[in-house]
Amino acid sequence: MTSLELGLYSLPVMLGLILLRIPVMLSMFVVGCMGLYWVQGSLVPLFAQMKTVSYSTFSNYSLSVIPMFLLMGQFASRGGLSKALFNAANTFLRHRRGGLAMASIVACGGFGAICGSSLATVATMGQVTLPQLKKHGYSGRLSTAVLAAGGTLGILIPPSVVLIIYAILTEQNIAKLFVAALIPGFLAVFGYMVTVSVIVRVTNEQEKMNQRASWRERTQAIQDIWPVVTIFILVLGGIYQGWFTPTEGAAVGAGATGLVAYASGGLDRTGFEDAILETIATTVMIFMILFGAAVYNSFLALSRLPFEAAVFVNGLELSPWLVLTLILTCYLILGCFMDSLSMIILTIPVFFPVFQTLDFGMNSEHAALWFGILVLIVVEVGLITPPVGLNLFIINRLAKDVSLSESYKGVVPFVMSDLVRIVILVAFPALTLFLVDWLY
Amino acid sequence: MYYDVTRMRLAWQNITGLIERLARGFACVSGLVLLALVVLTIISVTGRQVSTFGLGPIPGDFELVEHGGAFIVFWGLPWCQLRYGHVVVDIVARHLSYLLNWIVAIVCHLAMFMMAILVARQLGLGLLDKMNWGETSFILQLPIWWGYAAALPGAWLWVVTTATTGCDIAARMKHRTPLP
Repeated sequence: MTSLELGLYSLPVMLGLILLRIPVMLSMFVVGCMGLYWVQGSLVPLFAQMKTVSYSTFSNYSLSVIPMFLLMGQFASRGGLSKALFNAANTFLRHRRGGLAMASIVACGGFGAICGSSLATVATMGQVTLPQLKKHGYSGRLSTAVLAAGGTLGILIPPSVVLIIYAILTEQNIAKLFVAALIPGFLAVFGYMVTVSVIVRVTNEQEKMNQRASWRERTQAIQDIWPVVTIFILVLGGIYQGWFTPTEGAAVGAGATGLVAYASGGLDRTGFEDAILETIATTVMIFMILFGAAVYNSFLALSRLPFEAAVFVNGLELSPWLVLTLILTCYLILGCFMDSLSMIILTIPVFFPVFQTLDFGMNSEHAALWFGILVLIVVEVGLITPPVGLNLFIINRLAKDVSLSESYKGVVPFVMSDLVRIVILVAFPALTLFLVDWLY
Repeated sequence: MYYDVTRMRLAWQNITGLIERLARGFACVSGLVLLALVVLTIISVTGRQVSTFGLGPIPGDFELVEHGGAFIVFWGLPWCQLRYGHVVVDIVARHLSYLLNWIVAIVCHLAMFMMAILVARQLGLGLLDKMNWGETSFILQLPIWWGYAAALPGAWLWVVTTATTGCDIAARMKHRTPLP
């Protein structure tokens, strides 16, 4: 068996192990080790590599941005900001049909601006908005679906842990990727709001509408969300201005949200300990997958599979648009049963070289940014597609009276809206790129 | 005979309890180091912004963040292990029998145990290498092996926790307790 064949066969083997419920990091590590042993014909190089690979993977400066953004998200969840965001959005939308549901979407988007993880966004916003939606007569199907979809804004709107991982794997500029994600993020908020307003009319939701809020009330509600706005501008603006690196920006953000959370009383002893332990557990989880991937990818690189795959796809002389569609479809399918981070870490080393050979008439940096945003969105759709949509699971835990199958049904229109957005962004790369060009 | 079994069980509970407290303590230390890194970075960034007043960034701040990052992960690993915090995909496994899932979990923990030993042992050997070569960091000129040495207890406690989680899985067979 040539090493190329080994590389090729390793993919289904690893997927099989993962499907057997073996942890993703362990599957990658084991397959990677066995592959390295076979290709090199001896255990000596593998053992030598093991002396440094764990430590050097974990002590990578660009990766240290991850625990800091996670900590920032944890502090944000405990800072009472979710409530303020929901109230503010509510004063503008509550007199409309489906207003409360739309406000949940906007609040999720706002929360996503200081939190880089979808799961944290769903869990935090769900606690605030679900009781309100229920009180106002929204059906369980719609309210759970709204939150599950809104939660995806957590990774879509920068800062975003998935984008950071993509940036590191493909050696792209994190700040530019964050800027590129802004307009697609707004499109997502807009698309979800339109979806809500269509749903309430089509299914004839029996929701209660509130009185229109006065401008006085609105300005007051807006004042309550100044910490969110300040922190978002400080972190992203600072990174963009070159005041600090993304890691430093994340540290500043974590410090600022920590202060806000402390001032709001959400960080008592237990709250603080929970926030820390939760951050550490998630950090370790992500870093272990990255470690497994580091081992597996060094085997893949030796097998020359990513290179040969790129050459092969190039040799087919397919239309680049077709190849891109195939890749994105592949992500949508994988997203039905895998979580976003492992999916990105697993596939980017193979798909990115393939993508780079395609010619879309733009320079390679633009193409990489554009691809990053597209991948981010398809991966994000995976969070709400059955059977394994992590956001749906979390919502299901929060709203115990709504069955999972109800949420599955409710989320379909939002997935449609995602698909429409993907088509728009594929068709008009400028939507992603013009802000980057304009700012840089 | 009965007495002995009870006593053994008690001893086992004491040991696992101790390991759990230890792992939690390690995770707390890891979290505090993360906080320290956050504070250090903020001070450094502020120092750089006001450098006109004769202040400056903390020298070698990013080196400290790098090595602190490795420390955080290694010291958090045992806690993550005890919480069964590694990402799994259970779409297929949900439909398999308890026995099959149990066997997979046992094999998986054996593999994880071996992986942990490999990582911890090689980390120790890496430490010796770095020490012998006298490798230091660029700016602060701190010996790299310090970082390895600081990480080592976390790696070995991870080995211990993979063993206890494996035993926990094995014990669940008796009453068919749901697997984590």
